[in-house]
Amino acid sequence: MKNIKCDEQVLSTDILIIGGGIAGLAAAITAKETNPDAEVLIIEKQTCGYSGKANRGGGVLQYFDFDKVKPIEFVAYHANAVGCFLGDQEQMLKYVNMNHQMIDKLKEWGVKVPYNEDGTLRFFPTGPMTGMIGVDLDITIQVRRTAEKKGVKIIDKVTISDLLTSEGGIAGATGYSILDGTFYVVNAKSVLLATGSQNYRVINMWANGRGDGIAAAYRAGTEMRNAEFGNFAQLFKVKSHHELVFNENVLYNSLDENITKNFRWFPEADISSTAVAEWYNQISAGRGPIYMRPEECPLTQGDEVMFTTTKMWNRPYGLKLWRTIYEKCHSVDTDSEVAPGFLGELSPVKVNHDMETTIPRLFAIGDVSYAGSAVAGAVPAPPGRNRGSGILNAVFAGIVSAEKAVEYAKNIETVNVVKEQVEVCKERAFAPLCRENGITAKEIIQDVQAIVAPVENSIYISEHRLQVALRKLEKVKDKLEKLKADDYHGLLSCHEAEAMVISAEMFFKAASLRKESRGWFLREDFPNTDNENWLKWITVKNVNGEMTFGEEEVPIGKYPIRPRG
Amino acid sequence: MNMNNVINFDKEKCVGCKLCYKSCFIDVIRWDEENKKPIFKYIEDCVHCNYCEVVCTKGCIKVVPDFKGELLHQTFDAYK
Repeated sequence: MKNIKCDEQVLSTDILIIGGGIAGLAAAITAKETNPDAEVLIIEKQTCGYSGKANRGGGVLQYFDFDKVKPIEFVAYHANAVGCFLGDQEQMLKYVNMNHQMIDKLKEWGVKVPYNEDGTLRFFPTGPMTGMIGVDLDITIQVRRTAEKKGVKIIDKVTISDLLTSEGGIAGATGYSILDGTFYVVNAKSVLLATGSQNYRVINMWANGRGDGIAAAYRAGTEMRNAEFGNFAQLFKVKSHHELVFNENVLYNSLDENITKNFRWFPEADISSTAVAEWYNQISAGRGPIYMRPEECPLTQGDEVMFTTTKMWNRPYGLKLWRTIYEKCHSVDTDSEVAPGFLGELSPVKVNHDMETTIPRLFAIGDVSYAGSAVAGAVPAPPGRNRGSGILNAVFAGIVSAEKAVEYAKNIETVNVVKEQVEVCKERAFAPLCRENGITAKEIIQDVQAIVAPVENSIYISEHRLQVALRKLEKVKDKLEKLKADDYHGLLSCHEAEAMVISAEMFFKAASLRKESRGWFLREDFPNTDNENWLKWITVKNVNGEMTFGEEEVPIGKYPIRPRG
Repeated sequence: MNMNNVINFDKEKCVGCKLCYKSCFIDVIRWDEENKKPIFKYIEDCVHCNYCEVVCTKGCIKVVPDFKGELLHQTFDAYK
């Protein structure tokens, strides 16, 4: 093994936040507000303020009008219709109760929250209990500015590749600059993983969710949960791959039959996996292609009604982006043919009510732990069929974790990193650069995409298809030791490719274990929900290099809402 | 990954504000510190999110998406 000659930076901080998206930023600011003397460092792989997802999606925040709905009423609706009793109702109640506080905080941090002339919040109702507020896509730029004003240190273009543990708890992390390869060793009292989900790089909007934070946490031995929940597919226009939110009710097959008219009842949460399954069934039966007729749906008659109109909210920053995107899409969308686009989104790092993982003082917040927190139960990726809860889940997790992280940092002495562990991490990180020849990250990534992206393997599954997928994945795993990189950009791609394989394996194996359908999780071979045997969470853990699975009973007896019978 | 997106860059209009470099969320763009200009180094990783085009204060950048090359990876051949 060649010796890699590179600079090394050794840093020490109270709180290390890995990832500078909205979760990481919310945590950083909260930490500083809780204790202005705490040293808080964000290390971001790309450029904080522009990275993450909050600045690339719909920019919507969920809103609850507490004059019209009590938090427990929403939790009850959610448990019955969305989370299907697999959710942590106590945590969901806490999230709902904090709704106004979070919106106020974002406003305090510089986010432009829209108001009516009479001073009330300008929200759009999305059901009898919920509404959404549109914020502009420069949200993370505003919040970064606030973070820096409060003394948060931010390092950009450095990727964290491994976590360091010592004496049974977290000690810090290692990483490298993607620009010049400088190796970083960071010693920290509390570490917050805010690295986002695993997106598998199929759909461009979330193409930055690479899952390497999940992989680092997995290697460090922290427990995962709900890995079988995480895959999401939205219907997209075939030519431009532009998504069509709310169009699921107006899909037609080649026989002019409306194929999803009865799949989505108002006030049902959002697209259901049954709509995606129906696409598959229709195509399999030779009744494709499938087309949408947006003119038949009141919400979409105006085309992209939420985004390109200024009627609801004034969002000039986002508007410029959306109009540019739609203009290019319109130039190729000569028809309205649709097909599913796969949005990966594994988010399995298990956390407790403080967002702490099973490794003491290691926290996981935002999309990286959405499923792992179990807050929303049997749902796919954020917003988990609950529009506007993606950004707010991240802010919620950031606020809650920071308070605890600061407490730890105050009360403990610095935990020293283990030198031998650092050396192992360094060698692992740079290994692809040291190989004389090998294969590219692209080869692995495309292999994995071909296995996970088809909806019959990831959304509408069966034991047979899962086992075929796992056999194909084993062959890809065998190729990993040949990954070769020519520079630090390529090096990062190699590690991201490895992370994709770990994520896919976790999903397929966990999905194979759950022998039922529940909420978003849909099995062709087990179509019914089985509350007698499956009111459980499936856990995953790296035990001496083996991906090991366990079960945890959902403490439904403690929760206010229970299934009938 | 699979696409041949094209990024047209008008060097003459560029004032070196660095916003395109910052806005790329997947390291397609590097920065030439000496000349204060972007280097579109890893275009094969570009996903035509259009951010660089939109944030450029002088309209120097035009991203031309390769829609045909972008794969949805669904099993049925017609559905790319």
